[in-house]
Amino acid sequence: MPERTYLQAISDGLRQEMRRDKRVFVIGEDVGVYGGAFKVTLGFQEEFGSWRVIDSPLSETAIIGSCTGAAIMGMRPVAEMQFADFISCAWDQLVTVAAKQRFRAGTPIPIVVRLPSGGGFSGGPFHSQNPESSFAHIPGLKVVCPATPEDAKGLLVSAIEDPNPVLYFEHKHLYRRIKAEVPDERYTIPFGKARVHREGEDVTVVTWGAMVYTADDAAKELEGDGISVEILDLRTIIPWDKQAVLESAQKTSKVLVLHEDTRTGGFGAEIAATIAEEAFEHLDAPIVRITAPDSPVPFSPQLEKAYIPQVEGVAAGLRELAEY
Amino acid sequence: MAIAREAEPVGSLREVREAGLDREDLLGIYRTLLITRGIEERGHILYKQGKIPGSFYTGRGNEAASVAVATAMGPDDVGTPLHRDMGVHVTRGVEPWRIFAQYMGRIDGPTRGRDGNVHMADAKLGLIAMVSHLPAMLPVAVGCALAFRIREEKRVAVAWYGEGASARGDCHEGMNFAGVRRLPVVFICDNNQWAYSTPTHLEYACETLADRAQAYGFEGVVVDGTDLLAVYRETKRAIEKAREGGGPTLIESLTLRMEGHAVHDDAFYVPKEMFEEWAKSDPLERFRTWLRENADLTDDEEEEIGAGVKKTLNDALVRAEESPLPEPESLTEGVFATPEDLDTPHHK
Amino acid sequence: MAVTGAIEVVMPQMGVSVSEGTITKWLKQEGDQVEADEALLEISTDKVDTEVPSPASGVVSQILVQEGETVDVGTTLAVIGGEAGGPAAAPEPEAPEPATPEAVAEPSAVSSAEADVEAAPPPAAEPTPSDAQQDGKSFVSPVVARIAAEHGVNVSSVTGTGRGGRVTKKDILKFIESGPPAAPPAPPKEEAPAPAPAPAPAPVEAAPVEAPAAPAAPPPEPVPAMAGAGEILEPMTAMRRGIAEHMRRSLDTSAHVTTVFEVDMSKVVAIRNKLKPEYERSYGVNPTYLAFISRATIEAIKNWPWVNGEIRGEQIVRKQYVNLGIAVALEGGKGLIVPVIKNAEALNLLGLGRAIADVADRARNKKLTPDDVQGGSFTITNPGGWGAIIGTPIISQPQVAILDVEALVKRPVVVQDDRGSDVIAIRSMMNLCLSYDHRLVDGAYGAQFMKELRENLETWDEVSY
Repeated sequence: MPERTYLQAISDGLRQEMRRDKRVFVIGEDVGVYGGAFKVTLGFQEEFGSWRVIDSPLSETAIIGSCTGAAIMGMRPVAEMQFADFISCAWDQLVTVAAKQRFRAGTPIPIVVRLPSGGGFSGGPFHSQNPESSFAHIPGLKVVCPATPEDAKGLLVSAIEDPNPVLYFEHKHLYRRIKAEVPDERYTIPFGKARVHREGEDVTVVTWGAMVYTADDAAKELEGDGISVEILDLRTIIPWDKQAVLESAQKTSKVLVLHEDTRTGGFGAEIAATIAEEAFEHLDAPIVRITAPDSPVPFSPQLEKAYIPQVEGVAAGLRELAEY
Repeated sequence: MAIAREAEPVGSLREVREAGLDREDLLGIYRTLLITRGIEERGHILYKQGKIPGSFYTGRGNEAASVAVATAMGPDDVGTPLHRDMGVHVTRGVEPWRIFAQYMGRIDGPTRGRDGNVHMADAKLGLIAMVSHLPAMLPVAVGCALAFRIREEKRVAVAWYGEGASARGDCHEGMNFAGVRRLPVVFICDNNQWAYSTPTHLEYACETLADRAQAYGFEGVVVDGTDLLAVYRETKRAIEKAREGGGPTLIESLTLRMEGHAVHDDAFYVPKEMFEEWAKSDPLERFRTWLRENADLTDDEEEEIGAGVKKTLNDALVRAEESPLPEPESLTEGVFATPEDLDTPHHK
Repeated sequence: MAVTGAIEVVMPQMGVSVSEGTITKWLKQEGDQVEADEALLEISTDKVDTEVPSPASGVVSQILVQEGETVDVGTTLAVIGGEAGGPAAAPEPEAPEPATPEAVAEPSAVSSAEADVEAAPPPAAEPTPSDAQQDGKSFVSPVVARIAAEHGVNVSSVTGTGRGGRVTKKDILKFIESGPPAAPPAPPKEEAPAPAPAPAPAPVEAAPVEAPAAPAAPPPEPVPAMAGAGEILEPMTAMRRGIAEHMRRSLDTSAHVTTVFEVDMSKVVAIRNKLKPEYERSYGVNPTYLAFISRATIEAIKNWPWVNGEIRGEQIVRKQYVNLGIAVALEGGKGLIVPVIKNAEALNLLGLGRAIADVADRARNKKLTPDDVQGGSFTITNPGGWGAIIGTPIISQPQVAILDVEALVKRPVVVQDDRGSDVIAIRSMMNLCLSYDHRLVDGAYGAQFMKELRENLETWDEVSY
């Protein structure tokens, strides 16, 4: 299998789907001639033409709204928000129109919205956010957060296949840093099936996206101390693999939930609450959350580092739990 | 001075024939108009009887415009009608009993009790259900047109909005995108002069809303929304232009909202003289008079059509009341679509 | 601004997702003078190709990365100024941070961020395990409590290794694995006055009576079993669990009252003796006493329908049918099953006899369908076959009555002879016990039903039955 970056894997998956299914088209700001702000769709317009790789005006509402209309007309639109942060401009189209249409009118809305998300590069408050929890709260939307190149491709294909609006959060930090083997052929990865990133006995980390790697580095650090950490990569948070989380919680009896999104009302709270409700008698320690604090993402590197959960903080949290 | 063209009223039967309607069509339209008004009048009564929960909105004064636009649409065209456009649903073929069922939250309403009043549409008839956030459906209609353009199909999308909704950003984004890409979409602005209690001069500062079309790079027309045939002619022209690749048109259809925003609103803020003035051009009466003067509508025909409509509505109400209420257990069904849902003509 | 200290030139970050860059060309060579902001080299990244301006004025003292090489963002590429030819390794510790974009970008590169251990305080989200607990030993976590209960372990006897000596899950599992430490936790036998309330399963009646109310309350939950000496554990079958649950629930639901009637079965016995050969020969059916009693019961129900009724919510359900349940014991005490004869009111004696034989047979051979055991409206149980003479059966929910058929025995009874004088006679007697739900059926109603049932049997009407 060839080694691909996370970004190439997304690009490959999208290109493959566009080649095999004429209904799939891409729309977004600068996705055509420029190939997208992060070059995910580089070369697409040459291959598929300007009506399937559409450079839109600077209009997030029009992008998502027109994807909804096109989807009802039988297309399989894949929209790109230049940064996940800009999805707020299209909140109404996603939350009011697309998410509720199946429930109200029986009309499925098979659209994918690609959302380059996450911080770590001094992007500041408007180019660094991880707003997945906000959308996880909206019935009717699915939320996907791949961590590996293989998942990035397979989950994107599943997202395009899915008959619902799917928010596909692709983490900018992983784009070119993470390389791994990715199958050439087309494949899907089912939603709602967590991946055991690392098996362990003593403490479970439940996480997704870029934090999988932060957790992994922390776990390696603890290895020397004889603390064995299990890392569950949820892959998708709507739907989320409750079963896998509960099983791991039952196994280790100690759970740390880790995410880059802010703390209050974050999806980690849902996970913690579910474990408390359904696996209470298996717990040997309080459930711990490590998240960004309740603040906008800061610009200055020093501040941003304090904002995003770091390896040492996660390692400390895991050690505390192990020793509890 | 207004930039947009002002449409002429429609004169003779010959002129109408040229626009593609024969006498049978005209009588059918008359019947549709009566059903449209009849549904809303009965709904109004049912609401006051407590048989319809929630709020109740009517399109009184806008019946002709909504029927005219829907009549101008081709069978494969699609649209996103709003709460003053009952005539669109009736014209496209939604059966009246299902509308009553919708009003009453029964499972045979197009939204199966999931949504109420005119928040409905039958996708099989090329209609997409509106949301309350106006004009959020406008970019959606533009997206339908985008799909037609990508697939190079000769189909057109019709997008409705009101003069109140014209103040929101979705309107701008939708029209701008449609203009930039010359998409096959026709924008219908139901300008009924009142957005709840807000008059037009507090919604926009240009002379007519159709004037804005030029800024988006397409044509704007103002038409008297109580003149069914004029609305029909202008929409037909715009739809065929869009179908042939000529891009969007904005048609501003001027009417007066002849009732409150909803039944709970007595519209005290609308000057009485305004109601009196507009009552003189009631769209149904206007069309009926035209039919008598230009198309030899006879007393017998009128009576027959009227009796038929009455029976249709009576039967519809009985059937709607027989429709069961949805089971509470079914509440969360359909939050997410399943792959089987994609098994529709659109998605093949 | 000429510099005295060495200034490093680093690979800049050309976009938020870019992690590395390739040097395509050095525009200055070692020893060349360069001015601040003057183009120093050209690089190529995934997103863009660009020139890199010099961060300071001075002499290029060292070039560390050659053309064509690809390095991570933040890597030092060259050194400007400093001691000529001096290695870049030791920039002066207190050198003020150069306020150049490149330098600012540096900390955000992954590699340096992780190396920089002491820099950032751990993120605000601190784990919360309570330090408030002074004595970790006293806190028992949910999982430890559950395991302790399941295995009958006294947590205080486990050595804790958690915070403050708390017993962790691992501790208790290790404790259980290594086996119970000798005697203490084993349930004391009768005479022992129970020093510690052992959580092991005591037979229900064993301790309570004579035990002088132990100060420490025993664990409230029935403790999952550990076999004591001389005891054998076997798992409950699903049927047994179902019976257990149903019986308990029935007692919790219905207000059980049992009434007993003595019936003179002599006439039934005589008729049966007469019919039996004929039924067996012609139909292959044994007209059992149960069939007679069933038939007579159904007849009585016609006049006393609540016995065949049901309480459903706030309503009383009166049924126009009798779905007769027949309790069938499985061999070896393996359980009990109650197949239902649907619409038994439509069957005569022969039909009932046949139906009873059929369901009993299918029950024992496991041939019943789920439908066969549902929907009963009245049940008859028949322990009399084993000689029982009195019983207080438990109602099968949601029915309201159950009839218990006892042994048929010959007894001397006082009867009147033809002349109206009391004489002692030998009669075939049987007790019928009816448990009924007093919520619906009152004592008088129940007794009148039984009275009619007795009359139906004692005056058996061969023609109509």
